[in-house]
Amino acid sequence: MPGNLTLTAMLPEHFLLSGIVLLIIAEIARKGSKLGLWIGLAAVIAAATSAGWLAANDLSSQPFPWHFSVTPAVLTAKALLLALAVPVVLMSRTEFSDGEFNILLLSSLYGLCLLPSADSLLVLFLGLELMAMPVYALILLAFRRPESAESALKYLVLSGAASATFLLGVSLLYGSTGTLTVNAFAPLITSSDLMARAAVVCVLLALFLKAAVVPFHMWAPDTYEGASVPVTAYMATLTKGAVLLAAVQLFGNASLADPSARYVMELMAALPLVSIVWGNLTAMRQTSFRRMIAYSSIAHAGYLFYAFLGTPQGRWQAVLFYIVAYSAANLLAFAMMPVHEDDAARDRLDTLDGLFHRDPMAASLIAVAMLSLAGLPPFPGFTAKFVIFRSVVAAGFSTYALLGLLGSFLGLFFYLRVIQRMFMRESTVSAAVPPRAITGVGFARLAGVLCLAATLLLTILPGWML
Amino acid sequence: MGESSTMATLLNAVLWLPVVGAALLIALRGNERAVRTTTVTVLTVQFVLTAVLYAAFDGQIAGLQFGTVIPWIAQWGVSYRIGLDGVNVLLVLLTGFLGPLVVLGAWRSIEKQVTLFHVMVLLLQFAMMGAFLAQDLFLFYVFWEAMLIPMFLIIGIWGGARRSYATVKFVLYTAFGSILMLLGVIALVQVLQQQSGTASFAFADLYTTKMPVQLQVLLLSGFALSFAIKVPMVPLHTWLPDAHVEAPTAGSVILAGVLLKMGTYGFMKLGFPLFPDATRLFTPVLMTLSVISIVYGACLALVQTDIKKIIAYSSISHLGYVMLGLLSLELVGIQGAIVQMVSHGLVAGGLFLLVGMIYERCHTRELSAYGGLARLVPVFGVFFVIFMLASVGLPTTSGFTGEFMSLLGAFSAAWPQHLDGNNLPLVLAIVAVSGVVLGALYMLRLALTFLFGPVRAPHQPFTDLTGREVGILSALVVAIFALGLFPDSALRKTEGAAKQYQQLVSTSRVPADAR
Repeated sequence: MPGNLTLTAMLPEHFLLSGIVLLIIAEIARKGSKLGLWIGLAAVIAAATSAGWLAANDLSSQPFPWHFSVTPAVLTAKALLLALAVPVVLMSRTEFSDGEFNILLLSSLYGLCLLPSADSLLVLFLGLELMAMPVYALILLAFRRPESAESALKYLVLSGAASATFLLGVSLLYGSTGTLTVNAFAPLITSSDLMARAAVVCVLLALFLKAAVVPFHMWAPDTYEGASVPVTAYMATLTKGAVLLAAVQLFGNASLADPSARYVMELMAALPLVSIVWGNLTAMRQTSFRRMIAYSSIAHAGYLFYAFLGTPQGRWQAVLFYIVAYSAANLLAFAMMPVHEDDAARDRLDTLDGLFHRDPMAASLIAVAMLSLAGLPPFPGFTAKFVIFRSVVAAGFSTYALLGLLGSFLGLFFYLRVIQRMFMRESTVSAAVPPRAITGVGFARLAGVLCLAATLLLTILPGWML
Repeated sequence: MGESSTMATLLNAVLWLPVVGAALLIALRGNERAVRTTTVTVLTVQFVLTAVLYAAFDGQIAGLQFGTVIPWIAQWGVSYRIGLDGVNVLLVLLTGFLGPLVVLGAWRSIEKQVTLFHVMVLLLQFAMMGAFLAQDLFLFYVFWEAMLIPMFLIIGIWGGARRSYATVKFVLYTAFGSILMLLGVIALVQVLQQQSGTASFAFADLYTTKMPVQLQVLLLSGFALSFAIKVPMVPLHTWLPDAHVEAPTAGSVILAGVLLKMGTYGFMKLGFPLFPDATRLFTPVLMTLSVISIVYGACLALVQTDIKKIIAYSSISHLGYVMLGLLSLELVGIQGAIVQMVSHGLVAGGLFLLVGMIYERCHTRELSAYGGLARLVPVFGVFFVIFMLASVGLPTTSGFTGEFMSLLGAFSAAWPQHLDGNNLPLVLAIVAVSGVVLGALYMLRLALTFLFGPVRAPHQPFTDLTGREVGILSALVVAIFALGLFPDSALRKTEGAAKQYQQLVSTSRVPADAR
């Protein structure tokens, strides 16, 4: 029953696709309908639930052999990523009232779902592109200020460069092995063949560019700043997470402790380390919330890539846990950001001054998010870092673990400063907009509460995901 | 069996009550009076429970009592493992005792964001109890770090003029130590896993880990740095005066009363017993630093003009004795160290409360602004003299018991070494005694200008202590004399644990093939 197999194994993707079709029909039928949010929400929830349901039933199958396969682990990852998209859809209500946002978001999510399932590098490429293309449009969609165009263009060009580098790597890989399967990548890491090594480095650099690792990070702050809140939230969390999961699939069982993998090890240790340090240092100086989050996400990309230094056992779980913990915290902060008519004003860090006096709930939730991002216990950001650094120590890279931890110490300062602004300063916003006056605030709050629930769940029961 | 499981339930209740209380406060939605009463009630219940547990605790048993073990992150061998032993039983009692007093002390002085303040105090109480009760390294680390956040807010929101600077300094200092400790934790567990094949974070399992000396030295450095910052030991003490001075009274009391003990408790529970061979190597250095802390802290206290700073520096000096007692490895010294920890919590807590009370009335902490307060506010004067004498270490007060026993331990450990030709411990012990003299000097100087001489005080006239304030201070005074006059109850409770500590630190744990 191969037909059924395609139907069930790709159920999450099918839900997303039906959502897109329905949204387009709704757009044609009644322009500017309010239905968009509900269709988008239903599609994402259905996709996430179906992925979770399939994972719970231990489904392992290859609907398209050598191209696309699912395992319970992959389905769990999809379910979690799609579940994280729910708050994104919810918080979009404050910025977008039309269906376009949801159409583009669902398309991007479709690509995102392809990534962990990809068995061939071509599907992987397809996933990367499908995930990134709608985002260019999403950035431009919030055309409230000229920076948006600049942001979209920067993202387009640099993401294009990443894709080109990736394809170059893939073609070199094909040249050296004669195959395009994802499994072929891991053995190349320990190969001494120059072409193989070049292929590995090209693919790796493309991944670094996509995940914004120093020195390929320059696009991130500008893009995040120019995009609107839900889009930035989406880019900073889900797309980054999917790229990392794809990278874990690529690396498979390769251990970087192997002496012949030394060149990769050095690359994978040095650049993420620099990312951590530079991201955290630069974040201190920012006055824009989204730029600060951009630099923080650069640092977090560094921690995530640290997972590759660690032992291959449990790498998937470690990265997945980190992505979920990090994304939940990030989305929580974005969802609770005070709303403002003027997007540029909404983005300034000083709108947070004295937030606790105006809106204690928002301030408390953002504080939780910041503490989790800073990696302070008991919040899941700590557990996530702990898993990664533990595997790095287990693999014998204690010095890198120490340097990474010291780098994370640098980050503490600016996260604490956000809390200081909210709790310890007087409000500077003269005529505070009543939060309820802007449409969709209720939805954003709901998104925040969902993320808080996820954060607390991971605080109390981290073992549930590991 | 039935009784001990009841006690275990009580112990869990002690830990989790503040969290329940915090949830209640949020539900009260800003009714300030109700918020204060609820907090005091919750903390009083917590104290009563700790007292019941203390009474039921049998000090002759070395291991854990009233323990609870629930697997938490089973894949890593992390569990929710709490229990009482002779090391933490007194500190748990102290934490429970200070809790309601802190809130009562802040009854009038905290006026803005009352709910948030009390929520933070309760969460801090939860984290401190958790850190003392935890018998699992992961759990301990979580509580250890979790203490930072409420304290950060308490200093940062309700503190003095330079609160922002002080609170960030406090957090960055302590978090820096914690980062290094974290790496130590990870590496330690890794070593244990390689040796025994199973991952475990339980203290009892970690005490069996065998490690070559070099590794012990590296790991102890991480742990020791973190604990030494918390104690604080000179030269890592510079955060303390800022934090103490800028913190609101409640913050200072918690900081001096409980948080500083975290450092010495950490050394006693983890640092030294986990790495006995490295401890022996470190002993001369740590001992020297302790004695420097005693003398240097006292000298700095001697020249301060800010009353809070005098007490802050005296804390550095007093905690030096604790370290000295712990490092002596003599039973009397170890027990003295525990008594000194509790005694300092009571005395410094009381002094900070007194300073807070006068600050509420006169709004300055400058020593030169005051004089002759004994005539102006006699009740205040009486209490001040009692706490001052306890701080100096007058016999019959707890300060005497603690300092005397710690020094006795240091001398009895130093004498045999002196006979073997190693004079350093003896010299250090003798220098440490001079700290007692210096202590008397700075406290008497403070009392002299403060209480006697020509009457001088801003914002006159002001009232003497109210009933509430007298109540708080009386409770502390009773505790100080109880511990000073009848220390044997406390000593009996800690005996088993002190012997176990002595034995753990004296036994080499270098693997046979690496010796």
